[in-house]
Amino acid sequence: MPDTAKMLDRYRRMGAMRAFDEACLDALRRKAIHGELHVGLGQEAIGAAMFEALQPGDAVVSTHRNHFHALAKGVDPRALLAEICERETGLCGGRGGHMHPFDPENHFSATGIVGASLPVALGYAHAFALRGEDHVAVGVTGDGGSHSGAFHETMVMASARDLPLVVLVENNALAISVDFAAVSPTSTVAERASAYDALGLHVDGTDVDAVTAQFCHAMDHARSGQGPVIIEATCCRFRGHFEGDPEHYRSRDERNRLRAEFDPIALYADRLTEAGVAREDLDAIIKSEKAAAKAMLAEVLADPLPDPADALAHVFVDDVFVAGAAA
Amino acid sequence: MSDRRNDRMAMGLPAVIAESIALEMERDDTIVCIGEDIGKAGGVFGATAGLQERFGADRVLDAPISEMAFTGMGVGLAQAGMRPLIEIMFVDFIGVCLEQVYNAAAKIHYMSGGRQRMPIVFKTAGGNIGSAAQHSQCLWGLFAHLPGLKVVAPCNPHDHKGLMAAALRSDDPIVFIEHKALLLQKGRDFRHHPDIPDRAYTIPLGEAAVVRQGSDVTLATLSATVETALEAAEIVADEGISVEVIDLRSVVPLDTPTVARSAARTGRLLVVDEDYLSYGLTAELSMRVIEQIGLDGLRQIDRLALPDVPIPAALSLEQAVVPGTDAITAKLRAMAQGN
Repeated sequence: MPDTAKMLDRYRRMGAMRAFDEACLDALRRKAIHGELHVGLGQEAIGAAMFEALQPGDAVVSTHRNHFHALAKGVDPRALLAEICERETGLCGGRGGHMHPFDPENHFSATGIVGASLPVALGYAHAFALRGEDHVAVGVTGDGGSHSGAFHETMVMASARDLPLVVLVENNALAISVDFAAVSPTSTVAERASAYDALGLHVDGTDVDAVTAQFCHAMDHARSGQGPVIIEATCCRFRGHFEGDPEHYRSRDERNRLRAEFDPIALYADRLTEAGVAREDLDAIIKSEKAAAKAMLAEVLADPLPDPADALAHVFVDDVFVAGAAA
Repeated sequence: MSDRRNDRMAMGLPAVIAESIALEMERDDTIVCIGEDIGKAGGVFGATAGLQERFGADRVLDAPISEMAFTGMGVGLAQAGMRPLIEIMFVDFIGVCLEQVYNAAAKIHYMSGGRQRMPIVFKTAGGNIGSAAQHSQCLWGLFAHLPGLKVVAPCNPHDHKGLMAAALRSDDPIVFIEHKALLLQKGRDFRHHPDIPDRAYTIPLGEAAVVRQGSDVTLATLSATVETALEAAEIVADEGISVEVIDLRSVVPLDTPTVARSAARTGRLLVVDEDYLSYGLTAELSMRVIEQIGLDGLRQIDRLALPDVPIPAALSLEQAVVPGTDAITAKLRAMAQGN
């Protein structure tokens, strides 16, 4: 008997994540974001799985495509959206922007450099081990980052020391334009785990139930002192690498096909209706999440931009002269 | 001189650095050291000798040759509330892991709007000892060019001890550059060699020291070149030229006021740097001094630094490019003879 209440929670979480990134797209159209934007549409099931797999003391170090991970980790959505929209009220007062959100209290951070998230997560894992805490560090990367030297070095050090690290590889099969199959020596990233004597898990990242189960398994494994895990969740990126990406590397038909076949929210709606949930109830959930995100964006856009007089604040903790500052 | 004091002054620089780190690790159990050969071997120069034995292999971690991983580990440890000391054996090796230094450690306090502190010490060794292009650089100018890093390069055991303690207590990321020639020098041979107290003490970051007083020329430099500058100053003193030697001690923060005050008095400023010439310390400090005291405040200003060339292997070539005693004395004489 499926637990429809739990399923509906997962459905709502995915809906909230998509609505959040749609609000970001809206903000971009309204020119409230003047830089790059990388949204995660198509990858919501992994974010929702992360939400269930994490415990409060765990750490997440994410990537340039980090919004769903931040939401999963409990970062305040309004502060996150305000940061993405470059506002004074943002998580980082508008200094970080959408690629660099930092929430120390929630042990959440991200980096815009592909692969660079993993060594930082390794540091959290070492700290947890040193202090004898049963927290787990999650380092997120994509298939592109799995080819970086940092990935290899992190796995070497984490596994040699049996550190509580979960490396989440969101494999959307595209490193900007480069096909995973064209550059990877292995047909999966997960199978490389054996080279590091680590656990490797491969899961359909568009199936929220499957990816949640495997993510929880990965976290339990790392938490119980059995060493690091590589969990590879396959998924599709519905939009360009960044907003404005001309996507010369794939056709519109191909993109439409991916959306039609691999939308984690649509797939889950089918499963829920099979379990007896009415379609209109599902539509109502999406509608209410969209309305909430829209209202949040309206609020955020009324917030002020940071004061230009403070542009040089926070370079150092100590009060150090910053060259170029007005005397 | 008491025997005890005698023994302290004979200590080599590596033992003094190890002593400082040990005292800090004792008072603060969040300090963790990671680097290649720092544990069992005690560091290739001995500057972490005895630490692993004392504090265990988890707090003094012998790392594999995975600089990208363990440099980023420092960032993660700092975010997790620890105070990591990350050793990059030679500063030249930073190329393989600069990412975590300049994109992460240096920028995170700013990018987080001041929410995330980044207390990391990147301890490393630089300077010329005949190791050619890939094992001789100083590179403090490179780190100073990147916003968000404090850059320290002391010249004697007393300052290394106090500045290392200050670095380990700072909440900002610090690149701490030891000089290989000083690490290899006998304790007794330091020209500028203040007493080294047993206890822990700190020296504020960003305060230069006047290490020789003089009235004709102000010579500002740092690291091993302080020794060379003092030697040069002694030589020209016999010719009636009085040189004030200032040890900058750090490049960021740069103590411009101390140099500017001295230069305003002597009217002549010579900046000497073992790092590369272009876009470096010599131009930056000269310009800052001019900004403070004006062009009219100086009769002469000059500089000596490593030319923009990879450092050669052969001794004759290395001596031709690294500012040594002869080059410095020649500059000092020329400046003293001018107006």
